[in-house]
Amino acid sequence: MDKMRLMLVDDEEGFLLTTKKLLERKGIQVTTAASGHEALEKLVGESVHVVILDVKMPGMDGVAVLKAVKSRYPLVQVVMLTGHGTVESALEGLRSGATDYLMKPIDIDELIAKAEEAFVRWQIMEGKIRVAEGKAPDKKQ
Amino acid sequence: MAFPEKDKYTGMRRMILFCMILVPVIPFIAVLGIGYYHFKTSLETSTLATMNRIVEDHRQMIDGFLRERRGDLAFILNTNSYADLTDPARFYNLFTQLQRFSNAFVDLGVFDQDGIHVMYQGPYRLVGIDYGKEEWFRHVLQEGYYISDIFLGFRRIPHFVIALKREESGKTWVIRATIDSYVFNELVEKVRIGKTGEAYILNSQGIFQTARRSGGNLLAKDPDDVHETKPQPGVRTFIRKDARGDEFLFATTWLQEKEWLLVVRQETADAFKSLRSATFMIILIMILGGVTITVLAYTLTRQIIRRMQRIDVEKQQLGRQLVRATRLAELGQMAAGFAHEINNPLQIMKSDRALIEMIFSDLKKKGILLEPDAKDLKETLAQLKLQIERCSKITQAILEFGRKSEPTEQDVDVGAFISQLTSMISEKASVQGIRLKKEISEQTPLLRADPSQLQQVFLNLFNNAIDAITERHGCEGGELLVQAGPDTDGRVRISVKDNGAGISTENLKKIFAPFFTTKPPGKGTGLGLYVCYGIIEGMGGTMEVESQRGVGTAFVLNLPGSDAGQTQCEPKES
Repeated sequence: MDKMRLMLVDDEEGFLLTTKKLLERKGIQVTTAASGHEALEKLVGESVHVVILDVKMPGMDGVAVLKAVKSRYPLVQVVMLTGHGTVESALEGLRSGATDYLMKPIDIDELIAKAEEAFVRWQIMEGKIRVAEGKAPDKKQ
Repeated sequence: MAFPEKDKYTGMRRMILFCMILVPVIPFIAVLGIGYYHFKTSLETSTLATMNRIVEDHRQMIDGFLRERRGDLAFILNTNSYADLTDPARFYNLFTQLQRFSNAFVDLGVFDQDGIHVMYQGPYRLVGIDYGKEEWFRHVLQEGYYISDIFLGFRRIPHFVIALKREESGKTWVIRATIDSYVFNELVEKVRIGKTGEAYILNSQGIFQTARRSGGNLLAKDPDDVHETKPQPGVRTFIRKDARGDEFLFATTWLQEKEWLLVVRQETADAFKSLRSATFMIILIMILGGVTITVLAYTLTRQIIRRMQRIDVEKQQLGRQLVRATRLAELGQMAAGFAHEINNPLQIMKSDRALIEMIFSDLKKKGILLEPDAKDLKETLAQLKLQIERCSKITQAILEFGRKSEPTEQDVDVGAFISQLTSMISEKASVQGIRLKKEISEQTPLLRADPSQLQQVFLNLFNNAIDAITERHGCEGGELLVQAGPDTDGRVRISVKDNGAGISTENLKKIFAPFFTTKPPGKGTGLGLYVCYGIIEGMGGTMEVESQRGVGTAFVLNLPGSDAGQTQCEPKES
C-alpha cells in the first residue's frame, strides 16, 4: 500500500512552512502550494492523495480550486480549511465534493487525523476503481 | 444645546397662544360691538320717537282745546248782536250755554269800544271798570283775537283769558272769557315716561305755564332756558344739561294757537337705562369670555407643548437607540474583520508551538536537554498553548456574533425550556446560596427560536447574575428570579432578575458593547452580552436592561412567539 502523500494549500507561508515540518516529522510526505494556481500546477507532476485546502485565498479561492481539482482528479480527497466566518464556504465545498472540513485554528493532531481518514477514503475508492478496471480493462488509467 | 431647544418651545408656545387667543377674541369682540351699536341706535331711535309722539299728541290736544274754546266764544259773538249781549237775561243764558260747551269757562264779560266792562257774568263784580288802557284790550282791538298767558287770579287757580272783537256798523265790542286751565294742566302734568320723564309748558319768556313735577312752580322762571328758539313748526329734540347738571333728553314744540312751548324731557340716564344695563352685561361677558378664552388657550397650549416635548424626547431616545444599534453593528463588523485577521497568525503560532513541542520531546528523548531547562521549557510551552487557546476563544466568540448562519428554529415551550436551564445551574446556585425562583405564566405562548442559541443567551445571563449576586451577598441571601409571560401581539416576554450588585449608569450605557467587561483581566472576554444581543436581535427579539447599583439588575427579553402558539392560546383565554 502507498504511503499518504499530502498537499497543503494556503496563502500563509508561515503556516505552510511550520505545518510541513510538523507533518514531515510525523513521517508524512508533504507538498505545499501558496495559491490555487500553484496547487493545480503541482498536481500535474506529483501524485497526491489528500489536499488540505484553505477556503479563503487571494486570487483563486478555495471553492474554485476544489472544483478544478475534483473535475481533473476525482479520486483526490480534499479537506477544506476554514475560518469561523467562512463556514458557509466550507458547506458549499462539501456539496461540491470535499471530503471534510477543518476549522481554524487547527490542532496538528486533528489535521493528521482528518487527513488519515481522507486517505482511507482514497484507498477505498482506489480499490473499487481497480476492481472495476479489472472487470472492464478498456476503461481509462 | 439645551438653550435653542428651550427657545424653540418658548417661541412656539407664544405663537400658539397668540393665535388661540386672537382668533376667537376678534369675532367675539366684533359680535359684541356690533350688537351694542345696533341696540344703542335702535334704542335711541325708539326713545326719540316715543318722545316726539308724546309731544306732538299733546300739542294737538292743547291746540285743539284752545281752538275749541275760541270757537265757542266766536259762535256766541257772531250769533248775538251787541243788543243781545247787553240784555242781562239773555247774557245769563249765553253764559250757561257756554258753560255747557265746556265747564272750563269761569266767567264771561262784554266790553264796549272804550274798554268799559259793560256786562259780566261770573264770580266777581267787575261791571263798570275801565280796561281801555290794558295791554290785552289794545291787543284785541288790533288783532281781533287774544289769548293771555296763565295767571293765578284771586282764587289762586291757574287761569287764562281769551278775548274776541266784533265790529258792526261802526260799532266795536269785545267779549272776554276766563278759562280754567286745569284741562290741559292735567293733560300735561300727567305725562310720565319711565321714572323721570315729564312734560310742561313755557311761555315765550320761559315762564312755567304748568307746574313741573321735578321742581319748577307755576309762573316761575324756567332755569333751563330751553325756550330761546323762535316759534317754528315741528318738533325739536336735543340733549342738554339742566340747571342742576343732570343730562336730559328734550323734545320741544311750539303750540299753534299761542306762543307756548310744550316741553317733554327725560333724564338720559333714565331714558337709556336698558342701554346701560346692556353695556354692563356686554362688559361682563367680555371679561368672562376673555378670561375663559385666555385660560383655555393657556391650558391647551401647555398641553400641546408638553406633548411636543414628550414626542421630542421619545424621538431623541429612538435616535440614541438607533445610533447605539448602528454602532454595535459597525463594531461587530470591525471586530469580525479583526478576529479574522488575528486567526491566521494564531494558526501559525499554534503550529509553531506544536513544532517546538515535538522538537522538545525529541531532544529530551535523545537526552540533550537537562532537567531544570527542560522543566522551564515545558512550562513555557504549556503557557503558550494556554494563551493561544485564550486568543482563539475570543476570535471565535466575535465571529459567532457576526455569523449569519441559519439557525434551526423550532417551537419552544418556555416553561419546559426554563426548567431545563435552571436545573443546569441549580447546583452552582445552591453552592452560592442563591434561591432560584420561576414564575411562568400559563398563558405564555410558544416561542419560535433556535434552542441552542437561546440556551447560550440564558446561561450567559444566569452566570452574570450569579457573579453579581456573589459580589454583593457572598454565599447567602442571593435571589434569582426568572419570569415569563405573554407580551403584546403573541410575543413572549422573559425577564431575568437578580438582587446582585447592580450596574452603574455609566456602565449600563456600554453594557452591550464588545470587549466591555468589569471582570478582572482573564476572567471575562467582554463578549458575552455582546453575543447575546446579536443572537436576540437575529431572532427578531429585543433585549433591554434595567439596573440600580446596590439593588439589582433585570434583563428583559421580548421574543417572537410561534404562530401555532398563538392559535393554541386563544381558546384558553376566551
